[in-house]
Amino acid sequence: MARFVAQARFIIGALALALIIAIAAPASAQQPSAVNPTAASVKEQQLLNALGTGDAIHGRVTIPDQKSANLIHPAGRDWRQFHEVTLRWIAAIAILGMLVILVVFYLVRGQVKLESGYSGRRIVRFNAFERAVHWMTATCFIILGLTGLNITFGKPLLLPLIGEPAFAGWAQWAKYAHNYLSFPFAIGVFCIFLIWIVGNIPNRVDLEWTKRGGGIVGHDHPPAYRFNAGQKMIYWVVVIGGTLVAASGYLLMFPFYVTDIQGMQLAQTVHAIIAVLFVAVMLAHIYIGTIGMEGAFEAMGEGTVDENWAREHHPLWLEQEMARTGPNESQRQPMATPAE
Amino acid sequence: MKSFVLACVVAIAIAAVAGFALNTVQKPADQAYSTTGVRL
Repeated sequence: MARFVAQARFIIGALALALIIAIAAPASAQQPSAVNPTAASVKEQQLLNALGTGDAIHGRVTIPDQKSANLIHPAGRDWRQFHEVTLRWIAAIAILGMLVILVVFYLVRGQVKLESGYSGRRIVRFNAFERAVHWMTATCFIILGLTGLNITFGKPLLLPLIGEPAFAGWAQWAKYAHNYLSFPFAIGVFCIFLIWIVGNIPNRVDLEWTKRGGGIVGHDHPPAYRFNAGQKMIYWVVVIGGTLVAASGYLLMFPFYVTDIQGMQLAQTVHAIIAVLFVAVMLAHIYIGTIGMEGAFEAMGEGTVDENWAREHHPLWLEQEMARTGPNESQRQPMATPAE
Repeated sequence: MKSFVLACVVAIAIAAVAGFALNTVQKPADQAYSTTGVRL
């Protein structure tokens, strides 16, 4: 009898042990949330093990900002890898790559010359309001670009050159400029969208212009209305890229007002990638608007272009203007325009 | 040149207004994320 009781006790004990293990097993599978980082006995190794699934580890705080209770968030390391390494490579390749392409293109192709020479007759290309909007947006963009690149490249490139005190002062004011000038930039993008949308709807002429290399590759003069396919591409890059970069920038400017930490990281990623690609495209725009094409800068600098320039690069637009205003209308001005 | 100067003036004016507005809407982190019981 005593032997039977001993055996029964052994079997019951074994079953109880198995039951305890069976209940405990799922609990150990939920290890990340089982770790209490504020517990006095928590071991660092426990925390590191808990990160295996990629979950965040939260503690407990009494201040209003409950986000500060987040002790470790593995996704943050991916984001740090992005903005400390990946973004710098993307930016360097995009911007330096575009500069190299433009230099090589200039050395091979040279400036697009006004082949028929200056006629001496001027035609209004952009009025004062259009130019003011363009320059407001462009000036803000240049400052936003430089101050934004300071965030990405300032620490590794500029800090060793000028030292910590100077870099701290510069970076602080650069950040102020970046935040505040974003508003006139965004307003400028919106104005650009409104004032030039009519001329920037893609049409069949753009296909012809593109097939013939736009007159930039080679010496052809394909037809174009007021804006050719290349200018339309720039327009849509400014409108769409500008909108995205502004929207993502305002999410960053008002942290956690709209989104959580994942959204903030996504906003920063989108903002940075679009911004560096934006800078690269604008370098090409600046090139073709200045040294890349003879007579092009006058359009936005003075507001007028030579009639032969319009005939070579925008013949369909010139025809429209001629039909609208007549050959001797006030739209056409003598060569000697007063300096603005 | 007039258009460029005008553009710069308008940009600075808008930026100044935006800066003033931002400074009234947003608070520094030490104010935004602390209670009255916190001494900094």
